[in-house]
Amino acid sequence: MKLIKENTLSPELPDFFQEFTKPTKANAGIPDVSRRDFFKISGIAGGGLVIGMAIGNSPKAKAQGSELSTLSPYVQIQTNGRVNLFSKNPECGQGIKTGLPLIIAEELDCAWEDVDVVQADIDATRYGVQFAGGSLSTPMNWMAMRQAGATARAMILTAASQQLDIPVSELSTSNTKVQHAASGREWSYGEFAELAATIPVPDPSSLTLKSFDQFKLLGRRFTGVDNYDIVQGKPLFGADTQMEGMLYATYTKSAQIGGRARSFNEDHIKAMPGVVDAFIIDEVGNPKGFNTATGDMFSGVAIVAESTWAAIKAKRELEIDWDLSNAETATWDDLVDQARAIQHSDGEPLMMLAGGPGASIPTDNPASKGDAEAVMESADQVLSAFYEYPYVSHAQLEPETCTALYENGSIEIWAPAQIPQGGESSAAALLGVPQEEAAERVVLHQTRIGGGFGRKLANDFVSEVTAIAQRMEGIPIKLQWTREDDMSGDFFRPGGFHSYKAALDGQGNLVAWQDHFMTSTMNDVTPMTSADLNASVFPMDVIDNVKLTQTMFKNAIPTGPMRAPASNAFAFTFQGFMHELAVASGKSHVEFLMDTLGEPGLANPENPGSMHTGRAANVISEVARISGYEQDDNEAGRAKGLSFYFCHSGYVAQVADVSVSANKEVKVHKVWAVADFGFIHNLSGAENQMEGGIIDGISQLFNSKITFENGIIQQQNFHQYPLLRMPQTPELEIAFLQPEEFSPTGAGEPSMPPVLAAVTNAIYNATGERIRKLPLYELGYKLV
Amino acid sequence: MATLNINGQTMDIGEIDPSTPLLWVLRDELGLVGTKYGCGIAQCGACTVHLDGAPVRSCQIPVGNLSEQQITTIEGLAADGTLTPVQEAWIEIDVPQCGYCQAGQIMSATALLNTNSNPSDAEIDAAMSGNICRCATYTRIRQAIKNAAAKMNGTAFYNAAEGGELA
Repeated sequence: MKLIKENTLSPELPDFFQEFTKPTKANAGIPDVSRRDFFKISGIAGGGLVIGMAIGNSPKAKAQGSELSTLSPYVQIQTNGRVNLFSKNPECGQGIKTGLPLIIAEELDCAWEDVDVVQADIDATRYGVQFAGGSLSTPMNWMAMRQAGATARAMILTAASQQLDIPVSELSTSNTKVQHAASGREWSYGEFAELAATIPVPDPSSLTLKSFDQFKLLGRRFTGVDNYDIVQGKPLFGADTQMEGMLYATYTKSAQIGGRARSFNEDHIKAMPGVVDAFIIDEVGNPKGFNTATGDMFSGVAIVAESTWAAIKAKRELEIDWDLSNAETATWDDLVDQARAIQHSDGEPLMMLAGGPGASIPTDNPASKGDAEAVMESADQVLSAFYEYPYVSHAQLEPETCTALYENGSIEIWAPAQIPQGGESSAAALLGVPQEEAAERVVLHQTRIGGGFGRKLANDFVSEVTAIAQRMEGIPIKLQWTREDDMSGDFFRPGGFHSYKAALDGQGNLVAWQDHFMTSTMNDVTPMTSADLNASVFPMDVIDNVKLTQTMFKNAIPTGPMRAPASNAFAFTFQGFMHELAVASGKSHVEFLMDTLGEPGLANPENPGSMHTGRAANVISEVARISGYEQDDNEAGRAKGLSFYFCHSGYVAQVADVSVSANKEVKVHKVWAVADFGFIHNLSGAENQMEGGIIDGISQLFNSKITFENGIIQQQNFHQYPLLRMPQTPELEIAFLQPEEFSPTGAGEPSMPPVLAAVTNAIYNATGERIRKLPLYELGYKLV
Repeated sequence: MATLNINGQTMDIGEIDPSTPLLWVLRDELGLVGTKYGCGIAQCGACTVHLDGAPVRSCQIPVGNLSEQQITTIEGLAADGTLTPVQEAWIEIDVPQCGYCQAGQIMSATALLNTNSNPSDAEIDAAMSGNICRCATYTRIRQAIKNAAAKMNGTAFYNAAEGGELA
């Protein structure tokens, strides 16, 4: 039997995830999957088996009072044989609403066509943490979903045995049916659903999970469970929430980030057609800092109107007097000047941060190791290079929107939120709801998310609608940000700078690495969110002599995680410089990477979540093979480029085939990608993430740049921040290596980073021009 | 009282500010929320509907400019409960990721195939270049349009089952 080994996830949960996983008012902690009492059974109206994960009673379930919410299960088997599977995490395009139920269905041994998928409501006591981020939804839930399915199957079998008076050992299951081989008979699960609901929950240790080669569903391609509704325009998204008597709101904040509204042309605005009310909301907390659960929000002016259009029209006529005493004054070009001025000097020694990316406290442990300076003194070759990249906006297509009804001290919210439990915490904090009452007084329903990419990890828009709904008690309020609100009010991917130096020995081997990393801070202690460098980035994780220093520029332009935080920029800088070194080494690019990776094994033997050099080597050699990268077929103006990156436990190598014309028009003809995300359980979903990641990366590479002047964001909409369109889309070829001993890791984030350097390395191979600065349009390149 | 012809029905929209874009009339007044707001300046195509069969950006059409035109929204494509070949192909190819832009994509694709039953890659690119997909499902959209065309023309089409069937 082939076993599937649990992958060890890396890195650890970043702070902004840990923040809401701590036991809080709405969160009783993370259920322990091994606990005997983890599964709770209840009967449902009409009969049937319900299996949910419940620890104690859920006050929220009582508060909601409806049939599904009361039970909040993973599995319902109805007497008619239909199976309801509940998907716990938010769906933002990563395919989790299809992916998690598929895992349950596999172990439950049901036919996929017998399954209806239901989006679970938010309930930490039953579902543990529910969020969409870190490419963690699949790996964190893989085993729990299998156990949920296997538990239900075991109970059906026990019930069938009792009902039929046939020993369990003579029964088997397939396609939502119990089968008895000896007699050739079979019965629908539905026939045993009612009795199964009375069967004691089996101990998880008594369950036999399927082996890899017994999977019937997992590993195939499945179309998304919401696709039938999506293609008909059915209401699914946060923006689609409609309620009787609902009013529509806009919220206008200071263009100079952090301004506080003092007064506005209230009489004029309130007299405009369709306007119901308009008012100032004060700043709460420290809204420039990325926050998911604390209710921090910027000051602004809310307009509540009878239609979205009336609210937008009035918004356009707002004249607001801002107190700018605490507003941002940073200018991007100034940061660039400061960084360039110090590129030839060292910064402060970089310290390891506690708790992984996004962590808050530098430790006493320096991130440097070995003696890079000494090695460079005696090295055969020393190369240096300065890389820079700008701030970038998420630009998810659904601008922030949220609906809420506040009544009698309680609030009900419908939110397209990547951390919906943080949305509840935010609302509770803003409303002053004490911890012990939060579960009953703050209820959030998760909707489908019209694109997340990390933007909707922040719950500022949930906080805003909470504050507006509180003021408009008894009336459902839908808050709609405009695209301009979104683009100028983002938690941006931070810009940054790397001044690299690296040494090669006489054999062209990489022997020392140095990086002076330049980033931003609002507190002089830690970098802004997702603006930190850690020492585990390849190749620093596999070489012995690394010197890391850091300079932090003081500003508080809001930043936050964006698809593959940090990696989305580091893959360009690190793998661009690695290609420079490969060229200098005299070896082929692939040979240089292989020699740097060395013997197969963990980069850090003490950390099972660290990069495995053997898995890295496998994706590199496979992408080189399928793309013909090692064939010497580059020609003037057309060449291939390669890049590799490891992040979110995923290994991805990509090759781009690129033409560059005399006037710098770039055509990306094709991109090959080979990934190792462990076992792929929905092939279509994984391919979708890889296809999207590659095109997302190319789009950012050429066109994405957010700038600020005196704290004012300069880009407002897609005419100033263009996204890649269909004519610029390359052909894609995707392959997954699936070592059988590894369970699945996430695909959404690691799919994206390598392609930027694959394209820039290809441009170098085609033209000899080395690209060390993004985006490419600023260097005169145009993607065609 | 003003009326609009939407999805084959005459719909009252009451007394309404004539500057209101069709997009917001559909979404807020008529509850047809399948048509999406993405940018408000005709850059993203999420709000695409058909006006007398032609794809238009509903965020740019003041409702006061409309009278007798036939408006079709995403909700009107399968009004009789039967999916169109374009909608079927979208499901078979598993096009959507987040899905927010797909109503607009499907309306643009449907308009293309209504006037050109066998479009080339270049014609597909041209017809679809006004629609942004931030999740970047472009390669699948292209394939789905080809599959839909093949279905409509009764010719063979790419089968996702190659290397693994799509359930």
